[in-house]
Amino acid sequence: MLRYIARRLLWVVFVVLVITLLTYLIFFVMPPTDPAVAFAGKQPTSADIAEVRRLFGLDKPVWAQYLLFLKHLFLGDGWGWPGLGFSFTTRSPVRSIIASRAFVTLQLSLGAALVWLSVGIPIGVLSALRPRSLRDRLAMAFALFGVSAPVFWLGLMCLWLFWFKLHWAAGSGYVSIGTSLGQWFSHLLMPWIVLALLFTAFYARMARGTLIETMGEDYIRTARAKGLPEWKVVVKHGLRSSLTPIVTMLGLDLGTLLGGAIITETVFNLQGLGLYSIQSVYRGDLPGVLAVTVLASLAIAVMNLIVDVVYAFLDPRVRFA
Amino acid sequence: MIAMIRSRTAPIALIAALAMIAVACGSSSSSSGSPSAAPKPGGVYRTALSSFGFTGGFDPTGEYLGLAFDFYGGLLRTLVTYRHVEGPAGNILVPDLATSVPQPTDGGLTYTFHLKPGIMFGPPLSRPITSGDIAYAFERIDSKPEVAQYAFYYDGVIRGMHQHPGPPTPISGIEAPDDQTLVFHLTRPTGDFLYRLAMPATAPIPREVARCFPTAGGYGRDVVSSGPYMIQGADHVDISSCGAIKPMSGFDPTKQLVLVRNPDYGESSDSRDDRSNFLNGISVIVDSNVSDIFNKVESGALDGSLADPPPATVAQHYLTDPSLRADFHADPGDRTWYLSMNLTTPPFDDIHVRKAVNDIIDKAALLRAWGGPTQGEIATHIMPPSVLEDQLTNSFDPYATPGEAGSLAKAQAEMKLSKYDSNHDGMCDASACKDLVMINRNYAPWTNMEPIVVDDLAKIGIRVLPRELETSAAYQTIQTVNNDIPIALNAGWGKDYADPFTFAQPLFSGASIIPTGNVNYSLVGLTSAEASRDGIMLPSGGVPSVDRQIDACEAMTVTPRLTCWINFDENVTTNVVPWVPYLWANNITVTAPSVTRFAYDQFSGYISFTQIAVNNQTSI
Repeated sequence: MLRYIARRLLWVVFVVLVITLLTYLIFFVMPPTDPAVAFAGKQPTSADIAEVRRLFGLDKPVWAQYLLFLKHLFLGDGWGWPGLGFSFTTRSPVRSIIASRAFVTLQLSLGAALVWLSVGIPIGVLSALRPRSLRDRLAMAFALFGVSAPVFWLGLMCLWLFWFKLHWAAGSGYVSIGTSLGQWFSHLLMPWIVLALLFTAFYARMARGTLIETMGEDYIRTARAKGLPEWKVVVKHGLRSSLTPIVTMLGLDLGTLLGGAIITETVFNLQGLGLYSIQSVYRGDLPGVLAVTVLASLAIAVMNLIVDVVYAFLDPRVRFA
Repeated sequence: MIAMIRSRTAPIALIAALAMIAVACGSSSSSSGSPSAAPKPGGVYRTALSSFGFTGGFDPTGEYLGLAFDFYGGLLRTLVTYRHVEGPAGNILVPDLATSVPQPTDGGLTYTFHLKPGIMFGPPLSRPITSGDIAYAFERIDSKPEVAQYAFYYDGVIRGMHQHPGPPTPISGIEAPDDQTLVFHLTRPTGDFLYRLAMPATAPIPREVARCFPTAGGYGRDVVSSGPYMIQGADHVDISSCGAIKPMSGFDPTKQLVLVRNPDYGESSDSRDDRSNFLNGISVIVDSNVSDIFNKVESGALDGSLADPPPATVAQHYLTDPSLRADFHADPGDRTWYLSMNLTTPPFDDIHVRKAVNDIIDKAALLRAWGGPTQGEIATHIMPPSVLEDQLTNSFDPYATPGEAGSLAKAQAEMKLSKYDSNHDGMCDASACKDLVMINRNYAPWTNMEPIVVDDLAKIGIRVLPRELETSAAYQTIQTVNNDIPIALNAGWGKDYADPFTFAQPLFSGASIIPTGNVNYSLVGLTSAEASRDGIMLPSGGVPSVDRQIDACEAMTVTPRLTCWINFDENVTTNVVPWVPYLWANNITVTAPSVTRFAYDQFSGYISFTQIAVNNQTSI
């Protein structure tokens, strides 16, 4: 088991390196803007542009810049470990920006996951137990709405209705838990629900489909024949094995969200990684883009690893190879 | 095509019509609250913007963003400054750190300033400001690694300033004989030199703090105040060593900027007319959702907007609701928006084609695409009237057409004179007139204007292929000379200070053309050496140059200077014709009823923090 995890971790490092290399190449081969020109002012001179290029280290060959980036990433830079460089736009260390923003994104993602799991799976189970019933049809209609409603529209509508018109909810923005627990919760509640709605719909459909399939298996019939209570049959025998694909999905979804829920963060003005990544791309802030890329790819790779480990616990047929 | 244009512009036209009605019923801008009632000091102006967008990390030495200049109006004091109010009064220089606005001596080559006594730096320094602190600000401007983004206003103008490659070092042309006196020695008479001394980069900078930030932008998180406000947390910064200095808590360039009163501000040394300082503080947060910002203003959660223009629906809401109309403020932005034509690229290397384009463009439709008259005034020449002290207004209109809607007859008459109209039917029929790339921005109002321009140009045989890009990419595309972009709709230019030099030199000086980052998009005054350096073809007849006129105007002072610049504008508009100027834009601010006194800072082009008042009880 430990050897398996170590091998997978090495694979994670390799994947992250490949992704950062690709990001570097994309940035230099297809640059949307030249950072040196962008940051040399409204009416730059050639000398200004050259100075900014030198200051940002853009005067070195691409391979040298990339190796320097790797060196700082693994060994740290002047602002600590891991070294993520100095932002072209804010002229401050990216590491501290990423740290504060990752925490906001983490809270948003985990809270939303909690909502979609606690709502989506029960809906799926209830639908699966009575397929084609009114309850099933209502649940699937809800799922269809959740899948169809774009987050940016839903977010704006919720803000307009529940904050601006009805004053039921707190507005946009982030309040830290240390400032006020109540304010923290009320400011995150709407983003959690809006972000979770799309996933709730997917998870409900997934849970329904896999559970219906599982409940038709021979071992379920055997369990019932043994005289087990129905709830035990559903929860212990049916749900357990139908959860495996859901865990896979959860791992991948969480990994993706940890890299930043761009639209939700933008609509609700949550200063997380998603918002930062899009701002960095627009401004040509390469250190910011790379830092978010590293973190996002790391999150996805690590979540994949966790999923694989959890798999074995949920399904005894899976063994570490 | 026409049907498509109609369908795309119809809602805008409706909004514009409503806006026009609203404008007719009320004033276009001004102060909220009763003008006779003296506002009470106190409260905090709470505002938000989608992004600060600072260009130099908010370090005054390098920062070149109008919004930053607005904050500096409360944070920093310069030798001379403005009254931080709207209109022509806001462009007049008044003494600030200096006891008076001096007259130059020595044939315009020497300026001597005496500092008012008792003016202090705010926390964490809390010590008197000396002439040496101002000289040090210039040393930073002259230090190449600091990347002072408008160093060109001083390089070669002040003796000894030439972008020193190392850290800040003394400048031979700046003398500080004692703590209260500062003398500038110039290399040539420069009529707008006093305006250049009102730029924020020249505000005093304490060496003991700034020396810890030897490269561009670093000092921006720890700007030490010399004005009525300081960055929150300045008083908690440990300056015992460079390593101990941490960013002031009130400023995070991705999240917020909070200004509070500076306890060391020398109120008696300042004029209440120039800075009223009603506010106890200013709180600016970054809100990525622009609609949300305006909802918060309407609900009272914020006191006003700042840098983001209101979405069309919000503008319509304010302009058509009488109870909200007074909270909608439209003030001249001293900015010209224009369609730029490249003088080296066919068919725009022919002045008749450029004039025909000026005659055909429906400027009235472009204004409607922007949202109507509240968005500004139709531009008829290069510089906004306020920059020319209202001595050249829209009554000078060499391409006037009925209703400013463009004239096909006039345009075709001009096109017939062009070499690109071989059969003289008023249509550009050469292959050079087809499939010309036109750079544009990828969002409204530029995307709203695009079909209007495409359709108008087609009427005289010019077929353009629009390429819509994100703002920065659009600018960089036309700023790279060998991209040879023939025409661009994305361009606009605002003044740095109220002198025409800030338009003329960067936009039309041949000497200022550089291969990348070039802002003379039309390549006026391009020399054959520059053309071969940048890998482009110079037309056989060359391109017109106005360099001599720029140099002559720059050296003049007062009245002959203004006349010179008026002649310059008329000359460029009628004889060079590099642009189709279409809009002198307003800046729009929306406020909540809590703002009891609204004022606009004509220099920065944003709300005037030192002149507004609020009646909220918010504290920081």
